[in-house]
Amino acid sequence: MLALTKTHIRLARTAIKENRTRSFLTCLGIAIGVASIILILSLMGSISRLVSNQVKSIGADLIVVRPSTNKDVMNDIISEFTSTNTYQKSNLVLSDVETIAAIEGVSSVSPVGIATSTVKTEKNTVESVSILGTNANFTNIQPLSLRFGTFLNDNFEGNTAVVGHTMSLLLFNTNNPVGKTLTIQGKKFVVVGVLSEIEESINYNNVDFDNAVILNAKSLADAIGGIQIQQINAKASNTEGIEEIAEKIQKTLEEKKSGEKNFSVLYGDEITHPASALFNIVSGMLALVAGISLIVGGIGVMNIMLVSVGERTHEIGIRKAVGASSRNILMQFLLEALMLSLMGGLLGLVLGYVLALFLSAVTPFAPYVSWQILVVTFVTSVGIGIVFGIYPALKAASRNPIESLKHYR
Amino acid sequence: MSSNTTVIELKGITKRYGYGDTESFALKDFDLTVKRGEFIMIMGPSGCGKTTLLNTIGLLDRATEGSYILNGEDVAGISSSRQSKLRAKKIGFIFQDFNLISDLPVIDNVALPLVYAGYSKTAQLKQASSTLSRFHLQEREYYMPHQLSGGQQQRVAIARAIVSDPEIILADEPTGNLDSRSSHVVMEELKAIHEEGNTIIMVTHNPSLTTYATRVINMLDGQIDTDVKTVSDQNLPKPVEERTTVRRTRKKSGRKK
Repeated sequence: MLALTKTHIRLARTAIKENRTRSFLTCLGIAIGVASIILILSLMGSISRLVSNQVKSIGADLIVVRPSTNKDVMNDIISEFTSTNTYQKSNLVLSDVETIAAIEGVSSVSPVGIATSTVKTEKNTVESVSILGTNANFTNIQPLSLRFGTFLNDNFEGNTAVVGHTMSLLLFNTNNPVGKTLTIQGKKFVVVGVLSEIEESINYNNVDFDNAVILNAKSLADAIGGIQIQQINAKASNTEGIEEIAEKIQKTLEEKKSGEKNFSVLYGDEITHPASALFNIVSGMLALVAGISLIVGGIGVMNIMLVSVGERTHEIGIRKAVGASSRNILMQFLLEALMLSLMGGLLGLVLGYVLALFLSAVTPFAPYVSWQILVVTFVTSVGIGIVFGIYPALKAASRNPIESLKHYR
Repeated sequence: MSSNTTVIELKGITKRYGYGDTESFALKDFDLTVKRGEFIMIMGPSGCGKTTLLNTIGLLDRATEGSYILNGEDVAGISSSRQSKLRAKKIGFIFQDFNLISDLPVIDNVALPLVYAGYSKTAQLKQASSTLSRFHLQEREYYMPHQLSGGQQQRVAIARAIVSDPEIILADEPTGNLDSRSSHVVMEELKAIHEEGNTIIMVTHNPSLTTYATRVINMLDGQIDTDVKTVSDQNLPKPVEERTTVRRTRKKSGRKK
């Protein structure tokens, strides 16, 4: 049996070698499918690693309150597509910040309100600037290092602003504009601090701190006539009790809003949930497309195996006449299909990894190829080989020896 | 072992195609007993069922009715995988158009029945090589079939037919595609094999070849027309001693007693 299997493997190798171009093209079909699956899996891996790292950097003690209409994931995604956060009607108000701050176990609270407006200085005018309205506690929750000056201070009543590194250059043509004034909708703000240049891009409600102006939420509301609060960040005093604290926030806010549940309190992994749900759907779609290309590759294998069976009908007849059973013939052709798809799988593995490396050079994603991905690749290539090889092999095996012997190429 | 042992016993073999109005018979109530060491020539017009008979004996085709006993074993109703096993071990086919696999070198072609009889790779090559040297083709072992002449190809095919030391060798017009010179060489080889005690059933259209036979059967419409024995059963060739020595090295031999 072993000798026979070895013979079949040898035969498959000979058959593949004899039709080099044809075999290579068939392998390529499988390879492209496998490569796209690997690419997508490794991208998914690297993105989810990126996201979980971001959650870690935010901290395990962070509780986030977001406005919400309901908890339906699909609706969240659709609304993400159809409207930007900036213009979304928020149910959170500035007084909620004080309510949450009063709750036991909450160490600091800061609102996040984002607006877009034109900012003027004596020298320049910059349009569509992201303006973040928050309070002095913001840096307790999201550490930001300052290059010059100080962050916002609640005790100081006047209109103060902190600008990002790039924004400072755009507005004042200098990297140290502390003490200078900028104007938003006719209101003047004194610059008290400049942020250091951000090395790692932090996606914080679509705010790029390098290009942002940070104001007190109240001053921002005064300047542009009311703001939408996208989020309220609260820091728990201890990580163990975070669930209780989150529940307390939920209850207190519900009471305050007379029972309306138009907000959600999130902590830990839940914070990134809407983003990851969207990401899961997109990567699922991509995987589907990759799967389809793998099926197309499999059809290529089936096609070429059918041609091979047709071409070698005479050989099948001879083999049967000298003692090959149908099973022997089945194994011979199945092994050939299997070898084709395995070679394609290996080629695809290399191709996919190279593509992932290439992609990592032009995007912030590092390719993430784990042993699971290798196993998935192996299993899919074997699966494709068997699924698409079985029909031609069965066809070969069921050939009548007498008829086959009469068959000529 | 006496050379009078029965190798093949066909009783009432009928091969029918179609039903009702389109019914036709390739073989009709065909009886045949073949003794060890016989060299049977089967003659007859085209369509008289010669090839069907050969395919039925060779277990490539199944009779519609009748019993077939090969070497004491009833093989009429056995499974097709068992049939394949028997084809590999007990039957050697020689065809008119040689039927060598063009992608395989000569030695692999000869070893083909051994592959399916379950020989190890080394045993296959050893056996195929010694059989080829018997036909003076040992220098051509790694030639491809198309590099050989027709006569040489047919000798390779004969080597393949006897490599597994079968009970019976079936030849379907083995000289049909050869010139008279090559035909003569091939017939001499078959004669030599026969003289070593092998049983051969050969279909031919050439009446001059019947001089090689110990028995000539003329067929007509799926039945035996004439059946003439030119050599009595007692005088059939007995297995040669030299052949049994070779056989001792083989895994298993059905004939060695």
